[in-house]
Amino acid sequence: MHKVIAIDLNGRVYQLDERGYDSLCRYLEHAESRLGTNPDKAEIIRDLEQSIGEKLTRYLGGDRTVVTTAEVEQVLGEVGPVEGVDAPLAGHTTVPAGAAPTAPPRRLYLIRDGAMISGLCAGIAAYCNLDPTLVRVAFVASAVIEIAYLDRPPVLTAGLYVLLMFLVPAKTTSEGPTQTAHEPVPVKVHRGVERVKALFGRVHHTPQ
Amino acid sequence: MGTPHLHEKFASIRKGLLEFLILKIVSSDKVYVADMLQRLSTTEFATQEGTLYPLLSKMRREGTVDYEWQESDAGPPRKYYKLTAKGRSQLEELSDYWAHINQTLEYLGRGEPCTK
Repeated sequence: MHKVIAIDLNGRVYQLDERGYDSLCRYLEHAESRLGTNPDKAEIIRDLEQSIGEKLTRYLGGDRTVVTTAEVEQVLGEVGPVEGVDAPLAGHTTVPAGAAPTAPPRRLYLIRDGAMISGLCAGIAAYCNLDPTLVRVAFVASAVIEIAYLDRPPVLTAGLYVLLMFLVPAKTTSEGPTQTAHEPVPVKVHRGVERVKALFGRVHHTPQ
Repeated sequence: MGTPHLHEKFASIRKGLLEFLILKIVSSDKVYVADMLQRLSTTEFATQEGTLYPLLSKMRREGTVDYEWQESDAGPPRKYYKLTAKGRSQLEELSDYWAHINQTLEYLGRGEPCTK
């Protein structure tokens, strides 16, 4: 059994498996971020959703009711990443200054891949563009200093670590740390659901 | 056509020419985005929706193309793009400019001075 999520893309309902849904949310978040302050952002996103929906349709029919993750990713690959049009095109420089897309914001994540404990140090390292080992050593050094100079268990260091572990959202990735630091990703499923409220459907638990 | 090396070298030129090519495509007929992609797919200018939609919206803001909704048998209504009067005059300007660039390349190749 695995979870299937139903979404509504331009009036048609599609059922995606959970990871496929996450990929779609990530794609749309990235698209929004790349479009920055583009005044037609909402319309472009609707156009993209329509194209994605049309491409997903080809995988359905007959007994097939659920689009798999691989199929969603295939479709997203065909639609391609959203590119800003801030660069002068065909000799034009008439793009309004306000339309220049903003760079995706840097976000701090727990990086689970290759994590020693929670991935916090790897996340901080990716955010600051440092070697994760250096951040780990800094945490250990801070604990040692606390023990040696304050003559107590490292409550401050450990407390800070645990606090951040709960505050910072997690992300599983096989990408390089620098990409992780810059790539906008829905940090929580709830946020992804909010973001794609136009896609909002209902959640099923369907035996597969 | 061309080696991967050349493909890479001329990437920014191709990107810059895309708007010109879109104007050319919509000058002949009202076209849906999938048709544009299809026509470009067999050329060096093959592109994707992620690039095309932002470009089309910019071109519409600038008034060179416009669209109208048309019902589709295959699903929801689709946007069909067409050239505006401004787009037509811009296409002419771009065509002239492109011809001039070609002429420049030609002259330079012969080692003759080029003046506009």
